[in-house]
Amino acid sequence: MFTRFEDFAANSMLGHEDSPPRSQGRLHFSQDWQRSLFGLALAMSKAGHFEWEAFRQNLIGSIATWEQLSCGNQPPWDYYERFLEALIKVLQEHSLLDIEELQARLSVLKPDTADTELRNIA
Amino acid sequence: MSQLFDYEQEREAESAAKVRALEALLIEKGVIGSDSVDTVLGHFETVAGPFNGAKIVARAWVDAEYKTRLLADTPRAIAELDLAQGMDGAEGEHMMAVANSLEVHNLIICTLCSCYPWPILGLPPYWYKDPVFRARGVREPRAVLREFGVPVSDETEVAVWDSSAQIRWFVLPERPANSEHLSEEQLAELVTPESMMGVALVQLPGA
Repeated sequence: MFTRFEDFAANSMLGHEDSPPRSQGRLHFSQDWQRSLFGLALAMSKAGHFEWEAFRQNLIGSIATWEQLSCGNQPPWDYYERFLEALIKVLQEHSLLDIEELQARLSVLKPDTADTELRNIA
Repeated sequence: MSQLFDYEQEREAESAAKVRALEALLIEKGVIGSDSVDTVLGHFETVAGPFNGAKIVARAWVDAEYKTRLLADTPRAIAELDLAQGMDGAEGEHMMAVANSLEVHNLIICTLCSCYPWPILGLPPYWYKDPVFRARGVREPRAVLREFGVPVSDETEVAVWDSSAQIRWFVLPERPANSEHLSEEQLAELVTPESMMGVALVQLPGA
């Protein structure tokens, strides 16, 4: 039995479709944004904003959608891209994020490319 | 190829920007605090993980009396070390260490599910839950060990320990030869989770 949310959350994914990359006993992040993203999802669920299972089901769905794409339309596999898609979706489902807010924020960060970036999210 | 490379870099940059924007928005809204991400990840990075097991093993290598205490009463010996608060929580309350030697090589499995000493070994590898590994680990442990790159001679007994809800086993691997010049901290850096499951040996870099 896991009494710590962090262990419970990680354990619920192990051995399933949404199992996160790991290496030598640690979560494996090849980029800083992946670490921030994993932490964001975990921190929000731990704070009670959504059930971890609700996020997981979105992640499993996002992975399944990627798997069903035809080769020509399938971007290279990236676990954390699917993770990001799932987090945005669960935040929208729980009225924690308006996609236009995110779009506006992105255009401040990168004014030239904001429209393209969000095409896949909306 | 250079086009593909640009595409990969662009995707990384896009994802990084989205995550940055998302985090900033959620902090502004008060959904999370500015240090929430680091706090929650700190559990895996500094509280519970294979770095704890490595410290325990290294201490047992440099202190024979500690090794004796560790094998006699594992939780009490772990509590002697200055490890992070909370690492002895769930999944770690009933741990037992078994030592490799010339006479015996130990292998840890869990035939029922995937019980594992998380606080000292961290997250289990994907194959730990694999039914084939679990079955073959019991039926033909020498063959499994050979496939992991750990040949065990016929003179050495192989002991297989089945973790359960009652006891989480871990292996005290053998100290590598010619490591007398290394400090306890340097020794700890050599210890991997796989060596504490019995499916790898601890080796000096370049050995």
